[in-house]
Amino acid sequence: MVTMEDYPDIETEWCPGCGNFGILKAIRKALVSVGKAPHEVLIVSGIGQAGKLPHYMKCNTFNGLHGRTLPLATGSKAANHDLTVLTVGGDGDTYGEGGNHLIHAIRRNPNITAIVHDNQIYGLTKGQASPTSELGMKTKVQTHGVVNTPLSPLSLAVSLDCSFVARGYAGNIEHLAGILEEAIKHRGFALVDILQPCVTFNKLNTFKWYAERVYRLDEEGYVPDDRIKAFERSLEWGDRIPIGIFYKKEKPTFEDGFGTLGEGTLISRPKDQTLVEELIDSFM
Amino acid sequence: MVTQLIKGNTAVIIGALYAGCDCYFGYPITPASEILHEASFYFPMLGRKFVQAESEEAAINMVYGGASAGHRVMTASSGPGISLKQEGISYLAGAELPCVIVDIMRAGPGLGNIGPEQADYNQIVKGGGHGNYKNIVLAPNSVQEMCDLTIKAFELSFKYRNPAVVLADGVLGQMVEPLKFPTNAVQPQVDTSWAVAATSQTRQNLITSIFLDFEQLEDFNNRLQKKYELIEHQEVAYEKYMMEDADIILVSYGISSRICRSAVEQARNKGIKVGLFRPITLFPFPAKELFKLAQTGDSTFICVEMSNGQMREDVLLATRCMRPVELVNRLGGNLITFDQVMQKIEEIAKGGST
Repeated sequence: MVTMEDYPDIETEWCPGCGNFGILKAIRKALVSVGKAPHEVLIVSGIGQAGKLPHYMKCNTFNGLHGRTLPLATGSKAANHDLTVLTVGGDGDTYGEGGNHLIHAIRRNPNITAIVHDNQIYGLTKGQASPTSELGMKTKVQTHGVVNTPLSPLSLAVSLDCSFVARGYAGNIEHLAGILEEAIKHRGFALVDILQPCVTFNKLNTFKWYAERVYRLDEEGYVPDDRIKAFERSLEWGDRIPIGIFYKKEKPTFEDGFGTLGEGTLISRPKDQTLVEELIDSFM
Repeated sequence: MVTQLIKGNTAVIIGALYAGCDCYFGYPITPASEILHEASFYFPMLGRKFVQAESEEAAINMVYGGASAGHRVMTASSGPGISLKQEGISYLAGAELPCVIVDIMRAGPGLGNIGPEQADYNQIVKGGGHGNYKNIVLAPNSVQEMCDLTIKAFELSFKYRNPAVVLADGVLGQMVEPLKFPTNAVQPQVDTSWAVAATSQTRQNLITSIFLDFEQLEDFNNRLQKKYELIEHQEVAYEKYMMEDADIILVSYGISSRICRSAVEQARNKGIKVGLFRPITLFPFPAKELFKLAQTGDSTFICVEMSNGQMREDVLLATRCMRPVELVNRLGGNLITFDQVMQKIEEIAKGGST
């Protein structure tokens, strides 16, 4: 049986009070709930403050390139589809540098859980606006305030008919862990955008700011089975911000498209060279 | 003349403003982000344009677009970000567009770390993108030169309609020194002789790197090589320090050359005749001058650089292996130490290690 002891605490280099701590804890809880042992799990990260998370997890992990988590994870999934693959990246990483990859990962639908630490700012490079920064937000680069319309990642995902779309809040660990558990169990690509206060560089979207606004979709009897309703909820932002599972749809996965994967992973398969030998013979 | 204590990265933007740069396109990365910050502050203030792009690729393509319109445009980044820009740089060179790219080198390969290194030499001086092209490459070694060589980069890039790179490192970007502000400023201006500027005069101008006809592309490539020969003939820059009677010649650029300068002085105090040869242009590389030095004396060369000897290969080629060329280096984000350079000098002075 997998317990929290399998995912021990490791010293971190995040600022005290960072929303990342809640996300880290929720990921551990979710993995324990789904009964995945560290050796069965792969966490791939990009670069940014969120990108440090794999360093603080005892399981298979690697740091990829900034913005490229989803292609990296897709590669790992193609190589060994038995792995439970999670990606972690920030809003700059996933929606800026890697925005194009997100669109195509949703289309491809690999069985991956994409976790986005959405703090609406670049933290690692010390406070520039990100694709989700609010209009008018002042930073050291956007000195007169952000002028570009913020991206609504959930609307984008729903519009692409993404097979699992959810939003969590780093300030509600139990609820977030529940969402992540569902996301990991879901068969297909799951996007989990997490509202995450950055205590150092984002003075606008604070824990207090979120606490006054977030509400749980499940408490309003919302059922995540309707794309249009999900799109409407995804547009909700301001005085009330919904968290929970917005949309869920079973559809063929990336792995389903590979006939050969039905025979098991390479590592579990008997070493049979017959096909290769036949092919070589055909060239002779 | 105004003198101020200023950070190297800030000096780049001061230089860009004096050089008439009116479009900056960037993306954050340590240790180059201050260039982005300063541009975001000063450019709008002067009615110039600043965009924080969604990625490095987006930024370099914005540079392509701005340069096509004949404007003085620039971008800056560090190693990993520069690697991402390489595709765009090849197209800029292929379309013969002027622009300035600043690389504040950090340690690699891959993500590496944010310490200083000089290991982007190959990717910047030797190309990095595809095709038979070259960047004009200037290597500052002080905050003053971060400003002055940025201005020079704009001048050369427009003179030859070719991308120009200011190749510095994390130390030069972050360190603070006095900067004497330039005395002349170039106003932002559009070169309508070749650009597409939405005017009737520029209607015939064509910006492209596509030549589907093989003969035509070969002619174009040959013309590019002629341009590079001309640059090699006209633009080589270097600094010689205590070189007149040197038995040992340190060859070093950028921040490493500052450490070498101290070593030259210390060695001279000990009676060892050491000189410093500092390439300021890495392309064009001062190959002829190094060859002359190799021919005329019986000196030993020591390349001092924070890479696995990337510049040393050019020194070996330039000196045609006529004299020994040693290497003193550090990798991984570590600065070369003064002691390290001194140790090698003393070893060679005693007749060892050649």
